[in-house]
Amino acid sequence: MKINPVYPFTAIVGQEKMKLALILNVIQPGLSGVLIRGEKGTAKSTAVRALADILPEIDIFVDDPFQLAPGEEDDTYREIARALNLPGADNGHLPAAARRKVRVVELPVGATEDRVVGSLDLEHALKKGEKRVEPGLLAAAHRGILYVDEVNLLDDHVVDVLLDSAAMGVNTIEREGVSFSHPARFTLVGTMNPEEGELRPQLLDRFGLCVTIEGIAAADDRVAVMERRAAFDDDPDGFAGRWAAESRALAERILTAKRLYPRVTAARERLYEIAQYCLDVGVDGHRGDIVILKTAKTLAAFEGRSEVLSEDIRTAAELALPHRVRRQPLMEIADNVQAVRERTKERRI
Amino acid sequence: MHRNIYPFAAIVGQEALKQSLLLNAVNPRIGGVLIRGEKGTAKSTAVRALAALLPEIEVVRGCPFGCAPDRPDESCDRCRNSRQPLEKTHRQVRVVELPLNATEDRVAGGIDFSLAVRQGRRALQPGLLAAAHRGILYVDEVNLLDDHIVDIVLDAAASGENIIEREGISLRHPSRFILVGTMNPEEGELRPQLLDRFGLCVETAGAEAPEERVALMQRREEFDGDPTIFMRSYAEQNQTVARKIEAGKARLAAVRMPRHLRGFISELCTENNVAGHRADLVIEQAALALAALEAAPEVTVDHIRRVAPMALVHRRRETQPPPPPPPEKDRDEADDQDQSQEDQQQDEQPPVPEEQAAESRESPDEASADDDHAAPEPEQGPPQPERQDEQIFDIGATFKVKPLASVKDRLFRRGSGRRSRTRVSQKQGRYVKSCLNLRNNDIALDATLRAAAPYQRARRNGNPNGMAVVLTDQDIRGKIREKRIGNFLFFTVDASGSMGARGRMAASKGAIMSLLLDAYQKRDRVAMVSFRRDEAVVNLPPTPSVELAGKLLAELPVGGRTPLSAGLAKTFEQVRNVLLKNPAARPIVILITDGKSNVALGGGKPVEEALGLAAAMARDARVRHIVVDTEEEGLVTFGLARRLAAALSAEYFKIDDLKAKTLVDIVKGQQ
Repeated sequence: MKINPVYPFTAIVGQEKMKLALILNVIQPGLSGVLIRGEKGTAKSTAVRALADILPEIDIFVDDPFQLAPGEEDDTYREIARALNLPGADNGHLPAAARRKVRVVELPVGATEDRVVGSLDLEHALKKGEKRVEPGLLAAAHRGILYVDEVNLLDDHVVDVLLDSAAMGVNTIEREGVSFSHPARFTLVGTMNPEEGELRPQLLDRFGLCVTIEGIAAADDRVAVMERRAAFDDDPDGFAGRWAAESRALAERILTAKRLYPRVTAARERLYEIAQYCLDVGVDGHRGDIVILKTAKTLAAFEGRSEVLSEDIRTAAELALPHRVRRQPLMEIADNVQAVRERTKERRI
Repeated sequence: MHRNIYPFAAIVGQEALKQSLLLNAVNPRIGGVLIRGEKGTAKSTAVRALAALLPEIEVVRGCPFGCAPDRPDESCDRCRNSRQPLEKTHRQVRVVELPLNATEDRVAGGIDFSLAVRQGRRALQPGLLAAAHRGILYVDEVNLLDDHIVDIVLDAAASGENIIEREGISLRHPSRFILVGTMNPEEGELRPQLLDRFGLCVETAGAEAPEERVALMQRREEFDGDPTIFMRSYAEQNQTVARKIEAGKARLAAVRMPRHLRGFISELCTENNVAGHRADLVIEQAALALAALEAAPEVTVDHIRRVAPMALVHRRRETQPPPPPPPEKDRDEADDQDQSQEDQQQDEQPPVPEEQAAESRESPDEASADDDHAAPEPEQGPPQPERQDEQIFDIGATFKVKPLASVKDRLFRRGSGRRSRTRVSQKQGRYVKSCLNLRNNDIALDATLRAAAPYQRARRNGNPNGMAVVLTDQDIRGKIREKRIGNFLFFTVDASGSMGARGRMAASKGAIMSLLLDAYQKRDRVAMVSFRRDEAVVNLPPTPSVELAGKLLAELPVGGRTPLSAGLAKTFEQVRNVLLKNPAARPIVILITDGKSNVALGGGKPVEEALGLAAAMARDARVRHIVVDTEEEGLVTFGLARRLAAALSAEYFKIDDLKAKTLVDIVKGQQ
């Protein structure tokens, strides 16, 4: 149901950090998402929507609202099918498998809790005596990307629900006579404009990476932005066609990196570097360490290396720590982690 | 559901956390554990991992409550009254998760509507409290749980029984569970009552040693790489822990408690000034469990020493006010507290006058050091002569604010937060009664069935569709729900020169900061107006971003004369705009001033004019006003702020009155 062609990801001018963070998340969904902070009109949303272009394919069951993985989640499928009268419920037969691209599911700011976690059609149940569960956005986003535009404006109770499932990888519904759970592992991608207020630290921590972006300063690049936008608006299909080769190349590179990732290793010294980095900067808990390691490995894979280098760690820290540097609820987010590190070091000496 | 669970034995560090969970697994009478700690410290991982290690128990087959076959006195009605001998079966002790979005009927249990509609039978659909009987009830982020759910859980935890009196069902069943909760204190504290329900409390923090951090990263990466292999490689160690639990459980009954040690326990509790006797009991049970776990024949002083801190942290009362460690406190100081529970260093905290204020000012200082635009900050502390030019004062010491909330009315609102109770137009909160119009498809089952009941015979004759109950559209009833949501806090700050005297502005800023932190936890919207020289400015238009307000507050300059009338007028204008946009909003205006107006808007006397304006503002009953008087008690007090408060029909506070008083006050305020 492609109505509007999307602006090609590869045609976005500048904003390298944001593009890198998004690509890394596509390669390794375990990075658990990225938060993009930036002023208005900095291609935040464009970039996320454009991702659709370069996403890899996954196996799914045909017509499965819960996006379960054939092979890995067969038992889960049977369980859910039995509970909800999905096809194949009675005899344990599984529906045919198919392939489709990883999806970007949008969570609108005004979404109600019902729409997010799923709900029961109670009226139907009362009149017909059968339960009918409407899967929510979390079900649709399983194994995909959940995109929240203006995530800082989201209702708090929706945020709590989101946190719950993001933490467990499972969405549990215990409401209105329904007791039901299904897997919901998704890559959380949020964009926000910090002028409208910050996110709660707890939610911040759930984003694996965080990038702050600004408008481009170089005049040449600004011109390029305008030219490409105009070209796209004039003839979207033609424009997309011109970038198709590059998009394919990037998608290919992502696939290669995905395959390489399991073989990427990090020497013990590198791990100490990571630990020291986090200790120097002062982060809460250990999620920072884990995310840096994963990011560094993904970076290496993206570069076609099977060994993590120190520079990978530096880049990874720059992406993984800005929002984790220890701070109180009313403090600001650091822009430059390296600078914070040096400052804290100085203070100690 | 098939899930990959990180093995308990593979968790690096966090010894206290692991210990507390094991103790509870061995001896359920300890009464659960609350895990407080920063993000990413294996809180949830540990609890989920524990589930895999729990021993098996004997239950009555088919009993939804999992009754013990040999304990009829503790069984549900059905098991107790059963004529036939009960069939037995075994199952593992369960960990039941209570998700944050759970509704009341799923927690306590409600009517099973498919049975009701299809067969016309009234049957209970057991809730989570039934499932958790003899198991563990686990609440992640317990401090974010809705109040009405908390009440149900509290009730059951206190009586060991869940009493259902709702939706036409009247039933009681046993519900004794181990309550395990995790929370991040930054997101707000727990109510003292709930806090006390947790037998033990442990604080977690990230490891400081690089070796540990490295080990942790390696294991996590291995686990994520291939969970199955990882779990297999730890299966043996996990088994060892499971056996330890089982052995401990078996030994528990035989462990002795020497008499004289009871004295030692009660001494410990008195020394720490704890409320009630629960701490004594918990320490005793925990010490027994520890001894059993370590295969000791009897409890020793050492056992008690090791478990006591876990039972005392959250119960210790200071001899003087503010209890829980607020998030605004300096991190290092908070860490110290975790490590050395024994010393009573919180005692120095309460009264906040001059010197202390200077000391704790360091924490916001560090905050602003991270901004690059930290303004030049004048020396603060010793009394300063009054100066006319502009100054920027630091934020003074913050404190825990006493509860402020609006009164309940009949309007429907939507939103989230934790300040004032209101009816809500969303599917959340407590179901208080039913009504004819249906909102959000939120059907009140009991009322719908009642409405349909009289017509059943007639309808069934006309339209037999195989259902026991035939419903039509006119029967459908909706739910009216109530919950707490955030308010709109409007700060009007006097930034005139007179406020700069004697560190008064620092204290005022401290008070505002405290209110802001409170607003953060209660999820309020805020706005700020300040007035000085000859005008009032809107520093912060209405926003949910309390952060922004905090930043602006730090930068707020002070100096010049006092145009109180202008401040009031500007506030009125802003509040009116908010009410135009959202007529159901309940703004709370907090006016921070000494009331010494000396610039008028028109030609009249400044003070009289301000009082007149105030009286006009008081006419809108939707707005609640609070005046915080910053005038110092001295030889000559003008009491102008008090007069202003009277004109506004506002509540009047001195800064000190804003502080939350004692445990007792907090409890009272919430009832």
